[in-house]
Amino acid sequence: MRLVLDSIALARPHWSLAAGGTFEPGIHLVSGDVGSGKSTLALIMAGLAAPDRGAVSRDGIGQVMLSFQFPEFHITGFSVADECRSWNLEPEAVLASAGIVVSPERSALSLSRGELKRLHLTCLLSREYDLLLLDEPFSSLDCPGKEWAAGEISRRRRGITVVFTHEQSIFPHTDHIWEIREGILTDCGAMPGALRAWEHAPAIIQRLVAEGCIPDDLTKESVVEAACRMQE
Amino acid sequence: MQDARIRLSAACLLSAAAFISITGAAAAFVWWLVFTPRVRCIRHRMAVLAAGVLFCLVSLAIVLSGGDGLSYMIRMTAILLVGTWLYADSLPGDFPALGTWLLGQKTGFELGMIAGMAMQAADGLGDDVTRIRLASAQKQVPWGVRAVVSAGRVVIYDALRRADESAELLAVRGYRDGGTCCPRFKTTFGDIIAGICATAVFLVAFIPVSEFFILYR
Repeated sequence: MRLVLDSIALARPHWSLAAGGTFEPGIHLVSGDVGSGKSTLALIMAGLAAPDRGAVSRDGIGQVMLSFQFPEFHITGFSVADECRSWNLEPEAVLASAGIVVSPERSALSLSRGELKRLHLTCLLSREYDLLLLDEPFSSLDCPGKEWAAGEISRRRRGITVVFTHEQSIFPHTDHIWEIREGILTDCGAMPGALRAWEHAPAIIQRLVAEGCIPDDLTKESVVEAACRMQE
Repeated sequence: MQDARIRLSAACLLSAAAFISITGAAAAFVWWLVFTPRVRCIRHRMAVLAAGVLFCLVSLAIVLSGGDGLSYMIRMTAILLVGTWLYADSLPGDFPALGTWLLGQKTGFELGMIAGMAMQAADGLGDDVTRIRLASAQKQVPWGVRAVVSAGRVVIYDALRRADESAELLAVRGYRDGGTCCPRFKTTFGDIIAGICATAVFLVAFIPVSEFFILYR
């Protein structure tokens, strides 16, 4: 199972994107500034948009899912219960897993963005996919919400998971890092070596790398462990 | 068309002409053919197509109830074409400038700003609907009446939320009412000709068809 971007390119009047590379099973982090083209790249990788040039091949990939940044785009049920059932899930179990205390009969769109994001991610991550693309999964979430989402994503062990984010503090378990630099997708490599090549790494990661205390992973525990090593 | 004042006036006159009579609608259509980039000015073709289908259904209902559905269809199509041209030709800042020029720095500025923000929101609606369709397809929800109603709810909800957020942002920045805008308009010779012709179209709308086609008598 693998996804190959074969020299894809997309040009718009004030913006362009070029990408090439192979995505193997595991959790990939694609970072980049706001407006760098992450969402467009996600659409192309999901096969929901076509590049101007190049091709995307999905070898051995059947089930594909793209989660949009705004959770309300995915809402097809009127109430919270309807929405859970639209994913073939029991509302009570979803609400318990999402950690939100609301009536299942409440209108899904009356939830706050953060609650809606938790509900959507819980429903989405309850299923298995060969290719799961998460566009800004941490947006609209507070710190506990981001940590919860990172934990849920980290539990994925099957298929290819690609997390597109400009998040700078909380990350899931990561196997591979990619970065969009000036419109070009750059392969930073596999963890933990990728941290040396990650130009837009968060300040704490840059400091740890500079001090030679490279964390094994991007999870909170790994970063804290590396920081403790630095202080020794 | 460069001058926003002439553009909006022309659109109002042409829409009124099309609404008043079939003669007006036909004249407005001719104006649209002569003074606009025609189909190239239709930015959201699917939305225009959907509106066209809606007009067809309403026309059919009028015909079935014994009314003049064809007349309705022709007049509404002309209004739709004028609207698509006005939408495509508008530039950011046009509405605040126009509002201020027309009604002053307080009421005019506010109305212009609201119109400008509404146009900005309308620009994003097409992208939102596309994403909702893609998300529904991924959940294997067929794009039928139920899905369209659901998408409509999301679009309205999002528009209201954005409006609320914009209002809060304006309040946080200290906005109370009115503002300062020094509108400047560039008027070309072509704008004046198009404006005069739009006025002529409006006047033609009051001429009965039998007067217009003299051979008819």
